[in-house]
Amino acid sequence: MPPGLRVNAVAFISAQNHPIIVRTFSAQDETTIKYHYIAHTSLDVIEERVNAAGGKSTDCYLGLLYAMEDVAVYGYITPLKVKIVLALALSDSVVRDVEINMIFKALHMAYYSSISNPFLTHNDDSVDGSRTLTVGSTKWKNFRRRIDEIARVVGNPTSTSIGGG
Amino acid sequence: MSARNSIQISSKPASSLVTPSLAALADPPMRYVDGAMMDYFLIEVVNTLRESSAVATARSKRIEKEMIDAGLLPSPQPPVPALPLKPENPRDSTVSLNSKTSGKVAVIDDEEEAVRTRLETIGMHVGANFAERLCRDRSLFAETLDVIKFICKDVWTACWDKQVDNLRTNHRGVYVLQDNAFKTISRLSSWEGRPEAIRRAKLYVAMPAGIIKGALQRLGYNAVVTPEINSLPQCTFQVKLPKGS
Repeated sequence: MPPGLRVNAVAFISAQNHPIIVRTFSAQDETTIKYHYIAHTSLDVIEERVNAAGGKSTDCYLGLLYAMEDVAVYGYITPLKVKIVLALALSDSVVRDVEINMIFKALHMAYYSSISNPFLTHNDDSVDGSRTLTVGSTKWKNFRRRIDEIARVVGNPTSTSIGGG
Repeated sequence: MSARNSIQISSKPASSLVTPSLAALADPPMRYVDGAMMDYFLIEVVNTLRESSAVATARSKRIEKEMIDAGLLPSPQPPVPALPLKPENPRDSTVSLNSKTSGKVAVIDDEEEAVRTRLETIGMHVGANFAERLCRDRSLFAETLDVIKFICKDVWTACWDKQVDNLRTNHRGVYVLQDNAFKTISRLSSWEGRPEAIRRAKLYVAMPAGIIKGALQRLGYNAVVTPEINSLPQCTFQVKLPKGS
């Protein structure tokens, strides 16, 4: 059984290009800022791809954006202009588009489930962008937990049980 | 609201990475709500909110009056013609909605405004999340007309089981969506006659207007949505998009 892919980081960026959350899974702590940087540069690549496609409608899944020293960065943009950036550790195993697309769909569902909670977002109800400020707080830990779950599932393809709660 | 559940998908994994658990997370099974129950619920929502917002308004007015009496707030200006005699009129003289006294009508409008705002806010939240969920499997929108068509077809079908009957535009940012048998008000009638029924129906379309507004807002357009009822059960929504979109 080939080893699962290691998810290094997941970043969500809002429609106004504010970061919503950047979550890293590698061991060291000091590389968090590196993934902020990666998310930032991905924005440029995404913008360029979306504008190049121009008038005709494009797919949500943007594929491999670019590859850096030890990570491969994939991008996804929802029709609501929320961008999801996934950084995977470079490895020799073949990576299929359909699998990455599934990961993105799962991340989108996690985001959607957290956003739908009316008790969470009614406190900061200016125009959409300010939601980013409260993401660090405890209320959003459900969202973080869901992202962690997805990363764990991706990393261990042999496990078949889904954690409860 | 958890996206995870303990249902095991029984298909065999097609590849080493796509496990049953990832498939379940990516595409959670749909949860269904009884249609008739939803209809009853939406009708009752309006009544409940009317009571609740009457209580809230009364409470805030009482606090305001206390602050005025204590001298913390400047006393209100001589009453503008829109709200004459309001502080003196005893508020618990319940009047029928048919009353023609201008003072009492102003009081009722104030409360109705409060209910309408609440309904619209709820609708906005619901509409935004509907749009988010329905956008999942489709590609990016090419242009504004696409967005409006998405609302007319997908959102309308999801909420009210049919599509919009007529869409008109003046190509300058104003769209008129017409529904000839709008589900929310199709069963509404009043023993006081047609005009009365139309007047009451105005409150019930506040939430659908909010749904449209919320969906557009989440998609990036800050529109102004105005519902209009000329004859039951026909309803039109006028959507005005800001310049430049």
